[in-house]
Amino acid sequence: MMLRALAASRVPGLGDRLAGPAFLACALLSASVAIVLLAVIGVETARFFSQVSPLEFFARTGWAPFAETPSFGVLPLLAATAQVAVGALCIAAPLGLLTALYIAHYASETVARGLNAIMVSLAGVPTVILGYLALNLVTPALRSLWGGVEAFNALSACIAVAAMLLPTVVVLSRDALARVPVPLMEAGLALGAPRGRVVLRVQLPAAGAGMAAAVLMAFARAVGETMIVTLAAGNQAQLGWSPLEGLRTLTAYIAQASLGDTATGTLQYGSFFAVSAVLVAVSWGLRSLAGLVVARASGWRRP
Amino acid sequence: MRAAHDRDWLGGMSGAAAVLSGGAFLTLMGFLLIDALPALQLEFLLSPSTSRLPDGTGIGPAVVGSAWILLIAGVLVLPVGIGTAIYLEEYAPRRRPATAVERSLDGLAAVPPVVHGVVGLAVFVRALGMGTTILAGGCTLAILALPAVVSTAREALRSLSPEVRLAAYSLGATQWQVVRRELLPTAAPSLVAGSCLALSRAIGEAAPLLVLGAVSFITFVPAAPSDPLVALPTQVFAWTTRAHADFAALAAAASVALLAAMVGLRLAGAVLGRALQRSAR
Repeated sequence: MMLRALAASRVPGLGDRLAGPAFLACALLSASVAIVLLAVIGVETARFFSQVSPLEFFARTGWAPFAETPSFGVLPLLAATAQVAVGALCIAAPLGLLTALYIAHYASETVARGLNAIMVSLAGVPTVILGYLALNLVTPALRSLWGGVEAFNALSACIAVAAMLLPTVVVLSRDALARVPVPLMEAGLALGAPRGRVVLRVQLPAAGAGMAAAVLMAFARAVGETMIVTLAAGNQAQLGWSPLEGLRTLTAYIAQASLGDTATGTLQYGSFFAVSAVLVAVSWGLRSLAGLVVARASGWRRP
Repeated sequence: MRAAHDRDWLGGMSGAAAVLSGGAFLTLMGFLLIDALPALQLEFLLSPSTSRLPDGTGIGPAVVGSAWILLIAGVLVLPVGIGTAIYLEEYAPRRRPATAVERSLDGLAAVPPVVHGVVGLAVFVRALGMGTTILAGGCTLAILALPAVVSTAREALRSLSPEVRLAAYSLGATQWQVVRRELLPTAAPSLVAGSCLALSRAIGEAAPLLVLGAVSFITFVPAAPSDPLVALPTQVFAWTTRAHADFAALAAAASVALLAAMVGLRLAGAVLGRALQRSAR
């Protein structure tokens, strides 16, 4: 009541007195949401590791959480995640870096705008839709090429994940190329170097750190990607390296095993959090590395 | 000779890559549309129930469920997210509390969507006793969208020219007056557009809702946040996992509906932002 009366009388400065604390409260709320979320994962993971030894978790090679004598060796899941993420990057990184170079240098303004629009649209496609396309477009195409491709296979998932990563690589490395100081390149041209060589020998090395960071950010996204691998790669939790066979990643395990009905406090429930902790740690590590690469590179260039 | 060779080599390679990148997107979308055409009918969009049989099923409940989720997530995340951005950009840039907030938001941004589902299951569904409801889904996606809302709002505030701020302060305006009368109206179009972009990405997420236990077969249209969790992306997932070809068409049609809703939300953001700016002036 009093507040409303004060507001109605338009006391000068009241907004000023309330606004600062209100915005601070918002910021603190945001920070505490993040901290609580990480704390929940931490506490549940610690409880899981009080029942399953970390040694077994990280060193054993069998993942069968719902077996009669459950075994929690995370290595097969970790290997599958690495296989899909690296496979997808092998496609998305060269394709994305070259596309960014084309947008920055060779494309006319209309074509560049078109490609940028396509990248924005592709970034907006939900991954469950890319999973649908992996299963119904990519896999049949692969199977018509090679007979040995299984219905659920890693290669199809890699291709669809690459499509998801492409906008990240293109947009971030395009921006890295654009940040290279123009005088640096003009100096190269003034020395008589042809344009192609200035791009190759001056601009690319100067933007190298930014482009490496773009690939690392894409790597982090690939590790956390769930729907494509769940739909296209199947659920075989075993160590195997053939891209033509199915596999099961860290994320796919969570998506397939937790359908909202795993009882609180069980080992299986705890395993969701342990796997989540691994996912968060890897993703955070890769993103931090990306930040570090950019920071170090910009530190070098400044006298 | 050497010069021309250098340029042709790089230009040719990068041109081929660009054609492949652009072509891949157009192929994917074209294939999706062709798959969806047989199922895209009015009764499919409006059907009040999703049945286990391909005939007579539809996405009515899923569309309404996603709309509820969007509303709940938006109401929760937009004030907090934009308030955080204003604090970080205008009130305490580069001070110690601001760095701590930035650090924790960086940590939150590194959390994969599926992990948001695991935490949402523990906190909203179990600990707070919401059950697998639309409310739990909305709360989970609000947290998922928070880092994106903050960073797009910060970008919107940062893109304003510093002259406006300096001129207002030099005329004796207080910080709150500058924020309310200058920054917010000027930044409104990009603020609203950025918020709509972040929210549209959030409602496209299937993984967290799947982990919460979203249902895919429901015989009524959800009317309240306490109704069972149904949403469009999880509906796409459920139909994709069914082997029958009729379900593939349903999944494709639901995908097209989801994409249309996301594009529509972004367009609405652009229009609303411009209208807000006009009314504030």
